[in-house]
Amino acid sequence: MRTVRTSTIGETLLIVEDDILPAMSLRDELRDAGFHVLELTERVEQAVAAALDCKPALALVNIELHGRDDGIGLAREFKLMGIPVLFISGQQEKARSAKAVAIGSLAKPYHPKHMIGAVRYLLRHIEGDESLPRPAGLEVFDDHPNGNGAVPEAA
Amino acid sequence: MASSPGPLLLLDGDLNIVAVSRSFADTYGIDGATAVGRPMTGLGDGEWDVPTLHTLLKATASGVAEIEAYEMELRRPRRKTRCVVIHAQRLVYLDLKNDRLLVAASDVTEARADAKVRDDALRQNLILLQEVRHRVANSLQIIASVLLQNAKKTTSEETRVHLRDAHNRVMSVAALERLLSLSGEKGVELRAYFEELCESIVASMISDREHIRLFVTGDSGVVDARVSVSLGLIVTELVINALKHAFPEGRAGEIRVDCGFRGPNWTLTVMDDGVGMPSDPSLVRTGLGTSIVGALAQQLHAVVQNSAGNPGTAVMITHTQIALVDDGESPQDDAVVPVANVKGS
Repeated sequence: MRTVRTSTIGETLLIVEDDILPAMSLRDELRDAGFHVLELTERVEQAVAAALDCKPALALVNIELHGRDDGIGLAREFKLMGIPVLFISGQQEKARSAKAVAIGSLAKPYHPKHMIGAVRYLLRHIEGDESLPRPAGLEVFDDHPNGNGAVPEAA
Repeated sequence: MASSPGPLLLLDGDLNIVAVSRSFADTYGIDGATAVGRPMTGLGDGEWDVPTLHTLLKATASGVAEIEAYEMELRRPRRKTRCVVIHAQRLVYLDLKNDRLLVAASDVTEARADAKVRDDALRQNLILLQEVRHRVANSLQIIASVLLQNAKKTTSEETRVHLRDAHNRVMSVAALERLLSLSGEKGVELRAYFEELCESIVASMISDREHIRLFVTGDSGVVDARVSVSLGLIVTELVINALKHAFPEGRAGEIRVDCGFRGPNWTLTVMDDGVGMPSDPSLVRTGLGTSIVGALAQQLHAVVQNSAGNPGTAVMITHTQIALVDDGESPQDDAVVPVANVKGS
């Protein structure tokens, strides 16, 4: 019998974003909200290394990284590593086209407070806990998550 | 007919060639002299032997149909395929046993190619425009995040308020650019845009004040991008203003943004059930927000009306382009143009 966590505070997050200023703002807001946010990454290799080092509970990934749509390939790799991905790109169509490798999308421009809400929701959602209301603007791709190996148990 | 500028064929009722115009012979590389007297299907290398055309010409010859514009491809060995539009009509001569068929064959290859180039260019432009809007939204997010960082770090409460307001203004334009990057040329659905705006303002201004509710009501409607950016900024200012002044000392209440459309006319109302405006007009502060609302409304040829709610305050922005009969109002705008083309000058 596994226990469902009641708090998501202190969970480790990874941000992969090549726009450094929004990335910093997002990192600071998430840290203020009590999350453990890894050092910012902006390239695929960097992000994979960071994820291997310290497996995050959720990766926030921009699709376009340095002019290429590397975020989608990265999400595929993260899925193999068992790390759930939230796309944080303004390119909603591209995010939707890659819904097989991510668990959701919150499009730019987002308010960091909305991102905190989305992250809190998704961390519970991964555990099969749907007690939080789904935040506005958040698209959830997998309604029955098992991307993190966390299959909600039958009652 | 021989010297007709347009390529023409004259056929008899059995679709045998009676005459070929010089321009037909030149355009389609036919030897006119040897063609006469032979079946039309035998023209050239047989490229005119097209079953559908044959059927249509037969029907025209028997008087049951007339070919207005049948477009077909003329495929010839070792030569470029031409795009041809056929028009055929039966000529009835009382003194002839056999009817005649006049066939005009216009070569529209160049015109079609030009149209395709134009369509491709248009599509390409649209893709570029979407890409630019996407980038503008991203750039605005960069500026917005700097303003937010700035607001967090400053020690002055007054400065923090100003920076948050600035952040909200930038976000209102950023949200619009993103919606435009998705909607293309269709314009933005105003109510959905206002809902997104209000979400953003709630996130930045009332997360710690849950006793205030902000919501959007009214019609769905689409306006031009330039109009919607101004309306978004007006909503942002009015909502910020209501949040700042209508609910002092933890007073509970709600703010409603309402949009109404009647043809090209629209009304935008932001109302609250807060404390209302001071009864002494000299106490009403006119800040940056008020002047932004006034200027944008003027640009949109709209009228701003402040009124006391019961309780609270209502600000109504009305754009009347066409006086509707049952409204009994007079037009405020001389130029009657579709709202989608209203240009803020």
